[in-house]
Amino acid sequence: MNKRKFFLKMITSSLMRRRSRMLVALLAIAVGATILSGLVTIYYDVPRQMGAQFRNYGANMIFVSSSGDAEFTPEAAERAVAGIDASELVGYAPYRYETVLIHEQPLVAAGTDLAGAKATSPYWYIDGAWPAADGEMLVGNERAELLGLSVGDTVTVIYSTEQDEADEAGVTAEASLDMKVCGILETGGSEEEYIYLSMEDMERLTGNEGKLDLAELSISAPGEKLQSYAERISEAVPEISARLIKRVTESESTVLTKLQALVLLVTIVVLLLTMICVATTMTAVVTERRKEIGLRKALGASDREIIGEFMGEGLLLGGIGGLIGAGLGFAFAQMVSVNVFSSSISFQFWLIPVTILVSVAVTGLACLMPVRSATEVDPALVLKGE
Amino acid sequence: MSLLELNNISKIYGDLKALDNVSLKVDTGEWVAIMGPSGSGKSTLMNIIGCMDKPTSGEVILDGKDIAKESAKNLTAIRRDKIGLIFQQFHLVNYLTAVENVMVSQYYHSIPDEKEALEALARVGLAERARHLPSQLSGGEQQRVCIARALINYPEIVLADEPTGNLDEANENIVLDIFKQLHREGTTLIVVTHDPEVGEVAQRTITLEHGKILRDAKNPGFE
Repeated sequence: MNKRKFFLKMITSSLMRRRSRMLVALLAIAVGATILSGLVTIYYDVPRQMGAQFRNYGANMIFVSSSGDAEFTPEAAERAVAGIDASELVGYAPYRYETVLIHEQPLVAAGTDLAGAKATSPYWYIDGAWPAADGEMLVGNERAELLGLSVGDTVTVIYSTEQDEADEAGVTAEASLDMKVCGILETGGSEEEYIYLSMEDMERLTGNEGKLDLAELSISAPGEKLQSYAERISEAVPEISARLIKRVTESESTVLTKLQALVLLVTIVVLLLTMICVATTMTAVVTERRKEIGLRKALGASDREIIGEFMGEGLLLGGIGGLIGAGLGFAFAQMVSVNVFSSSISFQFWLIPVTILVSVAVTGLACLMPVRSATEVDPALVLKGE
Repeated sequence: MSLLELNNISKIYGDLKALDNVSLKVDTGEWVAIMGPSGSGKSTLMNIIGCMDKPTSGEVILDGKDIAKESAKNLTAIRRDKIGLIFQQFHLVNYLTAVENVMVSQYYHSIPDEKEALEALARVGLAERARHLPSQLSGGEQQRVCIARALINYPEIVLADEPTGNLDEANENIVLDIFKQLHREGTTLIVVTHDPEVGEVAQRTITLEHGKILRDAKNPGFE
């Protein structure tokens, strides 16, 4: 048997045959490693999870015309959208606003891609149903109350160029569509003042195509990336100005920063507590084994060999605890993610070696003081017949 | 030339003179018993001979070299290479088997060799008990493991501290028989003991009192 094998034999026998004491240290390391692995998993997954949560609060980017009040074309908007990573694009809703008449009352109608509006504005509450066919529309709650409309009613929506733009000869034209109210929109915000119909119905009503006033986008990406998207789009599609809705993006990044700082702080505190627990256990182990240390020194062990043996035991414990913690940490992170964010988390394989290395390092640090005291044991201790 | 030579060594702790100008010589192959009441300086003398302590003054010449002023690190190396220790309390590592306990001594000295360790155990009559833990061995068996461990690296001096102090008569006789065998083979033995019977079987008995040598005489009954 060579020296290395016998060294391993000694430290594994020490751990295996003195289980109760070592289990305490192993438990402390495993708990520390679990928290470390779990919280780091959450730390890295929180932006994704929180990003998804924040998408519930509506669009975080809008496209407007780069030349003031003018409009822009759907083709330009599509070119701009093409620059955004499809996996990050939660929703895209182009809007065209026109003034129409219902029951001789003027109001603003918004033509949009209703599926896109549903994706960018998941907080909209619809009393009734989303429009599923041509000739169906949503009416804002405030407008519905003013006009006395309710779900299932059919009304005539009139669009007149007089209200908007008369042709060159000064002739006014009037178009109308019979639309069915399929849902009342409740948001508590300005959206309740509008009616919403599909872009196709809007174009049929107004008779002209190819112009947009605004587009809303919901993108699941961190603040810096959103900013870079906005800059790239404004540059690549000059007729469009992409702007961030700072109220959303800034609160998202503030919450994320604070949450990540909290996670980091908790991790550091837990690692410190683990270190204290391991140091205490190892101190007790050294005290308990003073005679054995004295014997080893009496048999000719150098201080370096004594340090090597105790550190070996500590580091082996650290490695085993780290391995256990890496697995349990994922389970912990998964549990937190499912309960808090209602979605599962992806396993980060790189966390296994990192958790083991950190556990070994923390255990090594914790062992420094007790192991140092082990070298101070007097070998003559074993000769005193105590 | 003597294997071990102590010249005028003293050890002083504050006002207490644990050893007072002690001189003695031990030749290779000699079997010496060091006796004396508690506080006579036996343990201090043993610590100095065992390279676990240094005298306040005087020379300790082991194998022709004065080791009295050596550093603790060098003393560890000398102890590892030249001294075999046998303890009253046996001091076996409780989580290692008998043969592994013998191999610990090899591990610090050179390279663990299981075959050689098993032969050493066979020499003290414990071949069958080699895979047992200390808790599964009797006191006498544990002391024999301790003796096998002390002998495994072929030390120049075997130093025994009350080797029969925790043994019954039957086991005491077994241990003394092993010592006789070792002496016949030429091993240098220094045994510290309270027990007159153990002192009498040695070739020579040195009696200490108040840190001084009271008597140093050959045992007339030595076989």
